[in-house]
Amino acid sequence: MKNCGDKMASPKVLIIIPAYNEAKNIGPVLESLKKDVSFADILVINDHSTDNTKEIVEKNGVKCITNIFNMRYAWTIQTGIKYAKYHNYDYAIFMDADGQHIPNEAVKLYDAIINTHSDIIIGSRYIKKTGYKCPFFRKIGTKFFAGLVRLFTGKKIADPLSGFQCINKKVIDFWSKCGNYPEYPDASLIIEMILRGYKITEVPVKMKNRESGASMHSGIWKPIKYMTTQFYTCIVTFVKYIGKRRIK
Amino acid sequence: MTPMSIFLTTIAILVILYVLISIRRNKLSPANSFIWIVFCIILLVLSIWPASLDWLANLLGISYPPTLFLAIALVILFIMNFIQSKKIEDLQKKIIDLGQELSIKKDDNNKK
Repeated sequence: MKNCGDKMASPKVLIIIPAYNEAKNIGPVLESLKKDVSFADILVINDHSTDNTKEIVEKNGVKCITNIFNMRYAWTIQTGIKYAKYHNYDYAIFMDADGQHIPNEAVKLYDAIINTHSDIIIGSRYIKKTGYKCPFFRKIGTKFFAGLVRLFTGKKIADPLSGFQCINKKVIDFWSKCGNYPEYPDASLIIEMILRGYKITEVPVKMKNRESGASMHSGIWKPIKYMTTQFYTCIVTFVKYIGKRRIK
Repeated sequence: MTPMSIFLTTIAILVILYVLISIRRNKLSPANSFIWIVFCIILLVLSIWPASLDWLANLLGISYPPTLFLAIALVILFIMNFIQSKKIEDLQKKIIDLGQELSIKKDDNNKK
């Protein structure tokens, strides 16, 4: 296996970090990224934060695009994907700004996409014991959607809710033009990509729990909305591709 | 004409007038006004000639004709709501797309 962690230039890699009110968490993430993933460009998409996220990002000398209005997680990610497309990047890595994704684990994703020639690499918390303490309800949700992905595609994806991913140019191109980029780009999007014939591989990664602040799935109503929307979208995605599978 | 018929006829005429005024003032496009005008014409016909409602209810095997009136109104409102839903979805996609493009372009401009 060749290690691409120290590679300079050649393939252009962009790390996309969506951030909304992450002033308390984003500083250490960026410092660590600059040190450990020096071969990649870093782009923070500030989703119209009301705190000083933007100032902290700029103080760290990292590129920051501010959405002109609050677009929420998925469409903020898509802004980054469009940026990657416009600036002709070969690979994009998605990372959270809350410190949950460990920066040097991004190298594993990049190495895997180069070595396996996959279209999407998912950083998974569950294919190897990594010491990650997953909240009980999240674990149930992950298992449920992993079952759903397996049922609809026949492919085993242990962590379909992981946002720690690396995609290649083909996927950048497809998602940048995708008019129906889902509100929650998790299990349903994985189902869609598998049914379209894209190659998805999982790689074990370590993750931490959120450093501070509230998750976008915190509270009572948000997880219920997430579960029902995701479940419904998975079914609709499956139905959409009946009779036209592997269309890539 | 019963007081109810007079009331419904007045409502239908007022809505038709309001739709036409809105079109003249460019507040509503002719294409979007179509379904409202159709809805009001149906309401007008049914309220001026209540016998037509009885005839139609009989034809469809509905024993209580006013139920048919409510059913027609519900179906029309359901269709209108569905059309609006699709339009909102379409507009939402365009707004997000515009917002994303603008956010990126704004950043490019700042760089220059």
